Amino acid sequence: MSGLLTYIIRRVLFMIPVFIGVTLFTFVVGNAAGNPINLILISFKGHLDPGILAQLEAYYHVGQNPFVRYLYYLWDLLHFDLGISLQSQLPVAREIGAWTWTTLYLQFSALALSIVIGIPVAVFSARHQYSKADVAITGVAVFGYSTPTFWLGIILIYIFSFYLRWLPSAGAVSAVTPWWGNWILDRIAHLILPMTVLAYVQVAVIVRLLRGNMLEVLRQDFILAAYASGLKERAIIYGHALKNAITPIVTIIGLSIGTALAGAPALETAFTWPGLGFEFVQAASALDLPTVMGITVIIAIMVLLANLATDIVYGFLDPRVRVS
Amino acid sequence: MQKETAEQEGLKRSATQWAVAWRRFRRNKAGVAGLAIVTAFVLLAIFGPFFAPYPPRSSESLFQGEAGQPPSWKHPFGTEINGIDVFSDSLWGARNDLWIGVAATAIGIAIGIGVGALAGYARGSIGAILLGIIQFFFVIPTLLLILLLSRIAQVLVLHGFGITLIILILGLFGWPGVSYVIRGEIFRVRELEFVQAEKALGASNSRILFKHIIPNVLTPVVVLASLGIAGNILTEVVIFFLGFGPPNTATWGQLIEEGVQYISIYPWVAGFPGMLTVLLVFGFNLLGDGLSDALNPRLRE
Amino acid sequence: MTSLSYILSIDNLKTYFFTEAGVVKAVDGISLKVEKGESHGLVGESGSGKSVTALSVLRIVPKPGKIVGGSIFFNGTDLMALSEKEMRRFRGKKMAIVFQDPISSLDPLYTAGRQIVEAIRANDETISKEEAQAQAIRLMEEVGIPEPDKRFYSYPHEMSGGMKQRIAIARAIAQRPELLFADEPTTNLDVTIQAQVLDLMKDLKKSFGMSLILITHDMGIIAEMTNRVTVVYAGQVSETGNTTDIFYSPLHPYTEALLKAVPRVDKRRRLESVPGNVPNLITPPSGCRFHPRCPYAIEKCKQEVPPIEDAGKGRYVACHRWRELLLVGVS
Repeated sequence: MSGLLTYIIRRVLFMIPVFIGVTLFTFVVGNAAGNPINLILISFKGHLDPGILAQLEAYYHVGQNPFVRYLYYLWDLLHFDLGISLQSQLPVAREIGAWTWTTLYLQFSALALSIVIGIPVAVFSARHQYSKADVAITGVAVFGYSTPTFWLGIILIYIFSFYLRWLPSAGAVSAVTPWWGNWILDRIAHLILPMTVLAYVQVAVIVRLLRGNMLEVLRQDFILAAYASGLKERAIIYGHALKNAITPIVTIIGLSIGTALAGAPALETAFTWPGLGFEFVQAASALDLPTVMGITVIIAIMVLLANLATDIVYGFLDPRVRVS
Repeated sequence: MQKETAEQEGLKRSATQWAVAWRRFRRNKAGVAGLAIVTAFVLLAIFGPFFAPYPPRSSESLFQGEAGQPPSWKHPFGTEINGIDVFSDSLWGARNDLWIGVAATAIGIAIGIGVGALAGYARGSIGAILLGIIQFFFVIPTLLLILLLSRIAQVLVLHGFGITLIILILGLFGWPGVSYVIRGEIFRVRELEFVQAEKALGASNSRILFKHIIPNVLTPVVVLASLGIAGNILTEVVIFFLGFGPPNTATWGQLIEEGVQYISIYPWVAGFPGMLTVLLVFGFNLLGDGLSDALNPRLRE
Repeated sequence: MTSLSYILSIDNLKTYFFTEAGVVKAVDGISLKVEKGESHGLVGESGSGKSVTALSVLRIVPKPGKIVGGSIFFNGTDLMALSEKEMRRFRGKKMAIVFQDPISSLDPLYTAGRQIVEAIRANDETISKEEAQAQAIRLMEEVGIPEPDKRFYSYPHEMSGGMKQRIAIARAIAQRPELLFADEPTTNLDVTIQAQVLDLMKDLKKSFGMSLILITHDMGIIAEMTNRVTVVYAGQVSETGNTTDIFYSPLHPYTEALLKAVPRVDKRRRLESVPGNVPNLITPPSGCRFHPRCPYAIEKCKQEVPPIEDAGKGRYVACHRWRELLLVGVS
């Protein structure tokens, strides 16, 4: 493909300074009130094991100036060292792995579901503009992105967990007995509600944007020309209209992955879902600085990677973007 | 015949443009519905508290033995376990939530126009740096930082921590989106052929500014404002739900936070404020979409 | 002449657009006949309904447009009676169209070659990809694209306007249609390229034996390219006839006005545009639609719609006063 490889390399290289920028930003926010170790000593002195305290003092390089400390911070980060959690007194990096996986499999399930449902619905809605179905779909979609995800989750928990008793109400897995008898089904049972809530809002966003784009694209001359050439309806709608309509959407989806990853806190808290968002809230409440900063950096990096992935997909779909 | 100043000409032209847009907006049923909803809530926010049966956060019902009651005539939205009347607090909350949303968005737009205009006009490295800063904000997890700052404010500021700080924090993160759009608009208008022609013919910068740039910039701002308020209200509800808001403030998010703990037995506490949130945000979104359709000539033939 | 010797026979076509602002009567009673091998011009101002006529024949009028009346016969086949599936077989294969703006008529996400190949294989799935590619490259050569085997892989945004239009033409004639609509094919091109593209169309018409319907607002192009012309105003026919007859002795005031608006290098003359404004197609003027702008209008013109009258020698005109008026053509 003409220029695709060079384009990808360019995007990857571009990510490096952005990565530096993000780590710098996180460092600055974390050190806004001076070396975090000072705050930790004040708040947690009596509660921490002396050995842990020593490790923390080493991690924060007491006594050095901020520039040097940033370099140490970056170095540690690249070696997967994010300090020690004040709540659990375990290395942050060790726990973050499990939390990341938990958040990711929820997000990706929801994303997959929303794409599978969202695209056909949007195409249908665009092709039947102004029909009753279209109006209904658009209305439901606007409601979708007007609803706070965590609240919708709470309502669904009330209905399906407490009232109907069909589904579990909290966590990613059950503590003792698996729901529906089997540990895999147990995971699925716990996944259903949060995934549905997330997917509903994402479908709403996708439908709204894609439908709008489809309507614009369908007005274009080249669509008319495709009909005039005698092409089949399917080839025109999916091969030409959708492909053109979806390209800018890819960027939006990428950005919303970022927002979703960052926005997980409320939803995960509502479901007591032990992912990055939930742990962030716990850590922030407990003023567990190392964990808070660690999670922020990890999420920021995931957002960067999501953006990189969307850039690449965009470059694959739209050849105009590869030249610059 | 008197020669009109560029300003007067620009204003007159904008007036007819607005008249046309208003007519088109009127035809957009969804947009009108959104306007109706928003207006209803604004009225509710201004006058509602006069009709609120109880002061905000009042536990009076507890002493009347009416805590933890489902919705009834006396307590249309029910009561909490601590005696707070959900309906009454929702009315007070409407005022707070709407105020936070509008004020935060206003700050965000004000800063956004400033930075965006600078970014749009500045040549070379300044423009590039500003763009870099704007794009940087798109990449960082803003919600996390908002929560973090709110928590820090909660801990450090204590007594002074009121909704004003929340407003400032929200505004602080709300401007990049606005800047990006404003910058784009300025670029677009500058590159329009007839504007370049006017400039070549000697039109002054202020004429171009008033006649072309300002009308074109105001259009997206109105849409951004409506959608921005929707977004800020959602964010603010999240802040309160997670417990990072100023304590003892009557907002819908606070009510939901209190209601979650007892969702299985008192579902109305979290249910009603949530529905109000959805309705208000829905209204602003419909309004924003309606304005966008009415002001954007491309979408309609 | 029976309708069978006409490749296209449109009778009283009406295509309306049902919009929120009202019903736009874009085509409101247009009739025209094109013989095999003819080069027929369709001329009028923007918004006169010329493009919509072409789209109606192909039955690809975009929503909220709809053909509400009249008949269209292609080589004796009633196009309105065909199902959508049958109609699809006609598109591209029997008749095709080239649009005005080459930037928007090519899909920006596909290579030029791919789009031509797609057209080649549209109605014939038996052609292999390789064979189609070879055909496409040959077509690109015929339309005057240098190094076609390389250009096959170019994207539209990598090409000039003139080249894009050639690709659009290649795509349109890919299935060797019998009838080609060209909707303002040179309006969006540089003046220097315009002549090249027009010459190309003349050559292709000869070598492919196509009938051509050329839609334009430019009388100069009509003079150069067509042997018969239909003048259209506000969705209705003003007059029809051989190009030479129309130019030298127009019978309709609108035609006269159009001719006056053509700049002439050889005569010193003031350039006049057609006076007045484009009519509102939701509520068109009463009677003869041209009467508000017509210097010869009388009371009758405001009251009665002028019928299309046979003026002899293949000429038709819709004007109450055509017999009495002595109109000025080019000389």
